[in-house]
Amino acid sequence: MSVTSTNVPPAPQISGSIEGDVSQEFTAPARAHWLRRLLRDRAAFLALLTLALVILGAIFAPVLATHDPASNSRSVMTPPAWMARGNAEHWLGTDGQGRDIFSRLLYGARLTLLIGFAAVGLGGFFGSLLGLLSAFNAKIDPWIMRTMDVLLSFPAILLALALVAVMGQGIVPIVIALGISSIPDCARVARGIAIGVMKQEFIEAGRAVGLSNLQLFNRYLVRNAISSIMIFISLRFGQTILIGATLSFLGLGARPPASELGMMASQGRDFLLFAPHIAVIPSVVIFIIVLSANVAGDALRDVLDPRLQA
Amino acid sequence: MTPTPIKRAGFGLAAAMALALPVAAQELTIIRAQDSNHYDPPRTTAQSGAEIIFMLSDTIVGLAEDMKTIEPLLASSWDVSDDALTYTFKIRDDVSFCDGKPMTAEDVAWSLNRWQDPETKSPVRWRMGDVKSITAPDATTVVYELNAPHSELLYQLAQSFGSIIDKDTYETLGKDFGVTGFNGTGPFCWESWTPRDKVVMTRHDGYNWGPANYENRGPAQVEKVTWQIVPEAATRTVALLTGQGDISPYIPFIGYSTLRAAPNINVIKSESAFWTNYMGFKITKDLVGDVKVRQAINLAVNQEAMAEDLFFGEVEPAYSYVSSGALDYDATLNDSLLKYDPEKAAALLDEAGWVLNSDGKREKDGKVMEPLAISFTGEWQQTSEAVQADLLKVGIELQIEPMDSTVYWGKSATDEFEMYVMGYPYISAGDALNLYFRSANIPTPNRMNWNDPETDELLVAGSQATNETDRAAAYAKVLHKVHDNAVWLPIYHRPMQIGYSTKLAPFEAHNIYGAGLYKGLQLTFTE
Repeated sequence: MSVTSTNVPPAPQISGSIEGDVSQEFTAPARAHWLRRLLRDRAAFLALLTLALVILGAIFAPVLATHDPASNSRSVMTPPAWMARGNAEHWLGTDGQGRDIFSRLLYGARLTLLIGFAAVGLGGFFGSLLGLLSAFNAKIDPWIMRTMDVLLSFPAILLALALVAVMGQGIVPIVIALGISSIPDCARVARGIAIGVMKQEFIEAGRAVGLSNLQLFNRYLVRNAISSIMIFISLRFGQTILIGATLSFLGLGARPPASELGMMASQGRDFLLFAPHIAVIPSVVIFIIVLSANVAGDALRDVLDPRLQA
Repeated sequence: MTPTPIKRAGFGLAAAMALALPVAAQELTIIRAQDSNHYDPPRTTAQSGAEIIFMLSDTIVGLAEDMKTIEPLLASSWDVSDDALTYTFKIRDDVSFCDGKPMTAEDVAWSLNRWQDPETKSPVRWRMGDVKSITAPDATTVVYELNAPHSELLYQLAQSFGSIIDKDTYETLGKDFGVTGFNGTGPFCWESWTPRDKVVMTRHDGYNWGPANYENRGPAQVEKVTWQIVPEAATRTVALLTGQGDISPYIPFIGYSTLRAAPNINVIKSESAFWTNYMGFKITKDLVGDVKVRQAINLAVNQEAMAEDLFFGEVEPAYSYVSSGALDYDATLNDSLLKYDPEKAAALLDEAGWVLNSDGKREKDGKVMEPLAISFTGEWQQTSEAVQADLLKVGIELQIEPMDSTVYWGKSATDEFEMYVMGYPYISAGDALNLYFRSANIPTPNRMNWNDPETDELLVAGSQATNETDRAAAYAKVLHKVHDNAVWLPIYHRPMQIGYSTKLAPFEAHNIYGAGLYKGLQLTFTE
């Protein structure tokens, strides 16, 4: 890590335990190799590959889609191509409106991922900021944390219901609700990490050389806590996607004809007995995305969290 | 009506076997989709309310399965004065309530007066006509006096809202009448209600005054009926297949072919159900204010494809606002109905100034044609999405806002949409037209804001007509007028379909207010 300003000492980096093990050396960890270590973990590699494929599929949906996702046809509830009565034109079959499931999945993944990223980004940013501030300043700490306790007692689904009632159906209220419900968790974890960092001698040293609070916060605290926080946020991603899909399943998310994976599963629910593929395929895709996000998050933590490093 | 041989045979067999059967076999479970908010006759307009109330109580007159024949029920006969303003009903003297108390003309007059009392806040008070007074001069006579003739009075009195209940029980229970208890003269008696779970009723043993459309006039042939709520459509189908329930009028369209193929299930279908699903236009809104646009939307939607693909051929695609089988439907309407013709739709839109822009969307004066439709979730959402996809093909970008039914009713009374969805039961063309097209019924149920003095006059003329020809002529004019103005987009006529176990004798479906089992006197086990 480089320091640009000359009158500020270089920001120190922690390795080893952050729980105040003052005997450790302040040397940069072997970051150069984290990617290699990550890819050596076969499960993590697979998970990352899957996520990458899903993200690419979502980005290039307009190119990859074989049909217009909103356009219906007379061939309704066609099963996937490999099943009896299936045909090659719709290789994952069609839904109750005769819309191509594969094309809807691509566009659906787009919306699902967008909801996940936006909500986690929103919650992660505000949550971490509040957590770090809380650890940095003992005076505001109880105020922030008690507010977080209140927020924590508010279920995401209930919050989303209330927001949808006020703002109308759409993905914006869903993102806000999911974002808000991620804030307390992120804040608590960020605060825990930051308290460990605040106990380090370099904070003391920084104060001794006369750094302003802003510099201390920005250069010493944030930079040392951020990687651990990011790992937590990445773990949160899978969970957020799942709750987002749940909300769409309940009919609170995207407006038709937009497709969203949870909404697609919900629309297939009525046909579960007769055309199970309509609900099963999007559900499996949600499962794969969440599983991959969790495995990848775990692996990231294994290679990046200084506390877990040998 | 004459009973079918099947019905007669079923009854005979059941009667023969009834003596030999253990009590348990006489318990019937009916599976349905939703509950009512309560079971107080004049205050609930829910179909799920009517189907319980018909079994627990009786109306002054009954209606046969054909939806046209009025049958004596609590009134054994009646006279109508020449000016059609006074109806004199002769009330039976051998009828008793579930608690054993005899029912008199007094109870009939009290129940009907309660229906029309503004305090009761009945949402369907208009069905009674312009009432002058309802009195009981003696124990077997009820005089129903009107300020103006009401040609459909007898049909309206056959609806569940005019069910006769016991005054004393009502006064004891107050607002809890139809919630914690009920006392009527029906073939079944209230046992318990667990909201959103089930209603349990037991046989009214002394009952023998059922309407003449039933071979069995009473008592009922099953001892106990449980109306079980199963909210999931697929689960209802499975519950019927596996014998967890004996009857269900609430099978999803997709399930009927499976049920017909199952050896242990029969399905009955009645086409004269008079239940139409439509989307209405808020004609005071700019986007759909032009009749050409509304006609184009009608032409662009393929009801036939929807009926086949979305509803598996179980429904009849609708082009008229009321079923052609309904009383006072005008057959000359058939030639001018708007059927699927996307090219003509596009031409009409061009003519109205809505031309395709570079995105393939219809545009006029910088405004894009994207009307907002509010919709229920579930089956209605599928319907609106199909309409949306059809309209997209002619460049109209329909916006859909699906919402839960608890929110929908309130929202549909506002001005915040161009289109709305609704399905409704009716007993005749006049019933349907009076409900929806009177200007006094704005903003709901006249959610279209259809405000036309001539329509109002014709509707009054129809409803006050003293003979059938005048009545039919007045309603025919209204039918033509609203169809010419394309105020609705009709989607389909829903038949009454009931799946039932082969353990039960075959029976005929009723259609009154969507209550397919009506009084339940026909239901009997064959084994």
